[in-house]
Amino acid sequence: MKILVALKRVADPANHNKVKIPASGDRIDTAGLEWQINPFDLYALETALRLTENGKNPKKREGEVVVLTIGPKETETNLRSALATGADRAIRIEAVDEELDGRLVAHALAKIVEEEKPDVVMMGKQVVDSETNMVGQVLAELLDWPMATFAATIQEQPDGLLVEREVDGGVAKVKVTLPAVVTVDLRIVSPTSVRSKHTEAGFKYPYEEVRFAPLPAIMQAKKKPLAIKNLSELTPDLKSTTRYVKYEAPPGRKAGIKVKDVQELVQKLATEAKVI
Amino acid sequence: MIEWSEQHQAIFSAFRRFVQQEIAPLRDELEHGTLPPYDVLRKMFATFGLKELAEMRFAKALEQDAAADRPASDSEQDDGVGGDMVAMQMIPIIELSRVSPGMVTALGVSAGLTAGTILSRGTRAQKERWGRELLTLDRIGAWAITEPGSGSDAFGAMTSTARRDGDEYLLNGNKTFITNGPYADTIVFICKLDEGNDPKVRKVLSFVLDRGMPGLTQSKPLRKMGLHASPTGELFLEDVRVGRERLLGETEEISYRTGAKDTFKTERTGVVAMALGIVEECLELCVNYAKTRVQFGKPIGEFQLIQLKIAKMEVARMNIQNLAFRLIELARKGKKMSLAEASACKLYCAGAASEVALEAVQLFGGNGYMAEYRVEQLARDAKVLQIYGGTDEIQVSQIARSLLE
Ligand SMILES: Cc1cc2nc3c(=O)[nH]c(=O)nc-3n(C[C@H](O)[C@H](O)[C@H](O)COP(=O)(O)OP(=O)(O)OC[C@H]3O[C@@H](n4cnc5c(N)ncnc54)[C@H](O)[C@@H]3O)c2cc1C
Repeated sequence: MKILVALKRVADPANHNKVKIPASGDRIDTAGLEWQINPFDLYALETALRLTENGKNPKKREGEVVVLTIGPKETETNLRSALATGADRAIRIEAVDEELDGRLVAHALAKIVEEEKPDVVMMGKQVVDSETNMVGQVLAELLDWPMATFAATIQEQPDGLLVEREVDGGVAKVKVTLPAVVTVDLRIVSPTSVRSKHTEAGFKYPYEEVRFAPLPAIMQAKKKPLAIKNLSELTPDLKSTTRYVKYEAPPGRKAGIKVKDVQELVQKLATEAKVI
Repeated sequence: MIEWSEQHQAIFSAFRRFVQQEIAPLRDELEHGTLPPYDVLRKMFATFGLKELAEMRFAKALEQDAAADRPASDSEQDDGVGGDMVAMQMIPIIELSRVSPGMVTALGVSAGLTAGTILSRGTRAQKERWGRELLTLDRIGAWAITEPGSGSDAFGAMTSTARRDGDEYLLNGNKTFITNGPYADTIVFICKLDEGNDPKVRKVLSFVLDRGMPGLTQSKPLRKMGLHASPTGELFLEDVRVGRERLLGETEEISYRTGAKDTFKTERTGVVAMALGIVEECLELCVNYAKTRVQFGKPIGEFQLIQLKIAKMEVARMNIQNLAFRLIELARKGKKMSLAEASACKLYCAGAASEVALEAVQLFGGNGYMAEYRVEQLARDAKVLQIYGGTDEIQVSQIARSLLE
């Protein structure tokens, strides 16, 4: 199986107290922020690795994992770290973050899919910066491929993937034939969530997150191929159609109050907070 | 070298994540000495492929031994690979030291000092018997020179003895402050060959002992000021009978004193990475605290006396980091520091780490004195850097001697 994993770099969520919005409110000042791969995309990478290996022998790739990001040169650091984690090769599409939106990203991905012909395009269900949650869905539409979003478990079957999706009020089971677009939710990295046809039933991964890159792999990541493409060549006629009108910090939290007893608490929850 | 490369950064962030996920949650148990550090260290080795790297290093050392008559310790001196090895060894130490300098000590004494001694002094059979498993952490090692009556004057006042008994030796003596002593599987025991001669002129020999040998007692961990994640204990030897195959090098002709300098150098330069981790952690914690702790209506970072503390910490961080870069660069060129230089490094880094960590306690005020805020642990842990591996005073005298001689 060949899987294309789309990764986006986001400001480290632990940096939240460093985020500044200038008085003009027309942008977010990203100076001084540390960057990392969007956590859901890391889960997608882990999922892709699990789908292309026998869990007992994760060093041997049964298939190919290609990682891709759209962004400036610095994002190559993130690609290298994905390569160290186990991906086979990387593609970076040169672009600056400001000129992108979800639709444009989906179009660029569709172009790459034409060239690469993966069996699965995989990514996080959403990014933790803008929380847009649209690239996977738009991409599936552009490609006219089946899609499974918010995947919580995936089992490889002879004729496709059996995916359990988290939906309001429960879990929906869908079967997608390949090629397909899959976006993943956080439960996907549980020890038994993903099983490739190479992994025996009952196998449990001994961790619940993206795997660590071993030191020798970090050293060798430099030698893995990293191709560079240009956004303007992939999507010459397209521009971002999203305009950010204004940025504003959320209002500070008001101080809490103390209640006398349970009765008062229940009453306030009902009449003031209106949550019960 | 003027900065960490992108690859180095990747290694840093991988270890930082491991330390945060796997070690930070165990801090209390490690601090109270209820959890020996070895299984976590083994997990770290398994996670990062360090075990395979250790196997490779071991195989390479043996190969080069066979190829040339060069000692194994010179095996890393070629075309920049040595520098990368040094950097790759330093980075995990830096990251671990931010949370647990004790774990670094336990690891360093086992896979560094003890394994290193056997690999540089042992016969091929001895290297194969003990070296590999020490490097991979399958066995835990201890290295014992200090005695109740002999510390700084380690060789002069040493009373542990080996006496010939036919083809064998009988070993006697007490060792103290021995890192990993309580749990060690393999112990390098350093003593004097008693031929009935004047103790001053006796040969110094070293033997490899295994846990459970008749006559060998390993004490429980001693209670101490800090470094709780590193178990420290005493060893008691009463007529421990050993064959010649346990005498390192299988010869009485090479005294332990020769080549001891190399051991001291490695030990002393190892302190650089530990000090860097401690200082980086203190600085980061202090900067955050200075920004968020409000007194007299403003963040304490706006008071000049607090600024002075932070600025001095940054100066120490830069100095120590530069020494780390220098060590890497030297290794790249196949060079090593002189003993006096290594002593100067240790003297500076140990002092700076201690001072920074104590100032961090001060900056945090009452919270700094509380375990929850972690700087008090770092202050207690940092202090040992000025004592073990040769006290500050011993470093001073060695630096001065080399300048004055
Ligand atoms: C946590 C810990 C772990 C250790 N691990 C090990 C280990 O694994 N293996 C091992 O063999 N040892 C180990 N040691 C022992 C350590 O190396 C010694 O404690 C150290 O060398 C100092 O010796 P001492 O404690 O006997 O102090 P002493 O030598 O008695 O020194 C007392 C004081 O006198 C000063 N002094 C001594 N001589 C001079 C001089 N010539 N000029 C000026 N001042 C002098 C010292 O600097 C010190 O301030 C460990 C110690 C500690 C604390």
